[in-house]
Amino acid sequence: MATHLEITESLKVFQDNYNSNQRLKIMNRDWNRVVVIKATDIESLNTFIVQDGLVSIKEGALENPDLTVISDSETLADMFYGDITPTEPYNNGTLRIIGQEDDIIRLDFISLMIWGE
Amino acid sequence: MQLKKVLTLRTVVATSAGLTLATSTFVAAVQVAGYVLGDTAWIAILTGGILCFLAAACFSELNGLLPTANGIRLYFSRAFNDQVSLTVSILYMTIVIVGVVGAESYVLSRVLGEVFPAVPPYMWVVLLLLLVTLMNIRGLKIAGVFQDVITYGLLASLMVISLLALHKGNFQLNAPFAPGGASGLINAVALGVFLFVGFEWVTPLAEEVTKVKQISKGMMIALGLLSVTYAVFTVAMTVAVPKDVLVASAAPHMVFARTLLGGPGAAWMVAISLAASVTTFNAGMLSVSRFMYASAREHVLPAVFSRVSMRFFTPWVSIVALFFVSLTVAGVILLTHRYLVLLKLAAAMESIVYVLAGLAVINLRRRMPDSPRPYKIKGGLVIPVLTVVVFAPLALAVLYTDLWALIDLAAAFLVCLIYVNTAVPYLKKKYEARKPAGRRRPSRTTGEGGMEEN
Repeated sequence: MATHLEITESLKVFQDNYNSNQRLKIMNRDWNRVVVIKATDIESLNTFIVQDGLVSIKEGALENPDLTVISDSETLADMFYGDITPTEPYNNGTLRIIGQEDDIIRLDFISLMIWGE
Repeated sequence: MQLKKVLTLRTVVATSAGLTLATSTFVAAVQVAGYVLGDTAWIAILTGGILCFLAAACFSELNGLLPTANGIRLYFSRAFNDQVSLTVSILYMTIVIVGVVGAESYVLSRVLGEVFPAVPPYMWVVLLLLLVTLMNIRGLKIAGVFQDVITYGLLASLMVISLLALHKGNFQLNAPFAPGGASGLINAVALGVFLFVGFEWVTPLAEEVTKVKQISKGMMIALGLLSVTYAVFTVAMTVAVPKDVLVASAAPHMVFARTLLGGPGAAWMVAISLAASVTTFNAGMLSVSRFMYASAREHVLPAVFSRVSMRFFTPWVSIVALFFVSLTVAGVILLTHRYLVLLKLAAAMESIVYVLAGLAVINLRRRMPDSPRPYKIKGGLVIPVLTVVVFAPLALAVLYTDLWALIDLAAAFLVCLIYVNTAVPYLKKKYEARKPAGRRRPSRTTGEGGMEEN
């Protein structure tokens, strides 16, 4: 079981990698979204905000998110560190994403651009 | 937490019914009528619809238990195992794309060929597929209000034209309650299932609604609307035009519309056919290309299929590949004229998937007894067992009457099985070899002993 701190750290690593990727910043300049990250096995809520192509992270959950990513703490930490692809837990039902299909694919594509296959 | 954008029940119904409404369903409806005596096709169609309610109940429970865009891929993986799930999913997607594109393009090209005889039929298929491919690459979706307008407009059009035909025939039906022998009725019901192919494809919207129960409700309402519309429309066709004339035509709804209203009727039916075909092609390409993308991401298909357009964020390689597959399938069917085999193949495959859905509900009740089920089928295992008991013979009935459908299905199953057992392990091994050796996540030490957890 990962801790809330580990999930937050993984999100920071993801954020740093995203913000240092010029292509991603340009591609997502019009894709403003609020993504809530929620762990199922520990108390952990984070919000991942994409605004004008840049990513920022806030502790806790913002109201009315566009997407909600729900999984166990281990999967969340591994996923945002890029040790596993989101597809694997998504396909076996460990990872749930609530939101529009296009946004879900975009999120997966961002992960692909950052961490590769 | 409330999502910003959510789908309404109206749109869920429209999506479920819209995925099902296709030009080839009119041909299937006439084939259903051909199996029974007099104007009794309504009995087979309503029975088919009622039986589909059983499958819809199973999908509702599975969707509530595992709300995912992955649909049967996840349900069957949890209920049986990954190999079964993968084999069935690939087989299902292949048959859907071959069946839908093949049958739909054939019927539509006949419809348009009647109005514009100078244009070669294949040209229409190329144009339509190009349109749908471009829509998919650009990420333009027929969704929301647009989907509502198309679906409800189509349903209303079909009802209006049917009532006009019935009115013209003074609502006089030929032996409406005497369908004839049991074998004819069973075959009619089995093929009648094809009329509802795709109603459950609305389950991937589970992630876009606030209450998962809306999906179940939407599926049930869509099935009710479709059952009534198809039943009335088919009876209206057989009242207005002799059954043997309809059965012999590849575009019976055009014959019906022309007989009833002449040129304007034909134009009206062309508009209905185009709307139905575009939505069907689009839904098929959208679903199958997303399935290919997800499969490539989990290293089940070659990685090239996971390439996404930098501009439109759509899986363009999968979409383009589907375009060429569709062109080939459509070309083969236009040359061989074997479109009816595809209807039967799709009907049989759909019945098999319903059987597996029933078995999945039974298995998951045992494997995940305590997991929350927002929708749980009442009456214990009666409905899942009934689903299995009803749809297994229906699948067999379809395959028994068409040897080619049986051969095609068996061959496709064998190819999928070999692929899953040889190519998939190879692709996964190739991916493992490319993966970075170390983990990026820092190792964590726990307790005073400093033992590493990772």
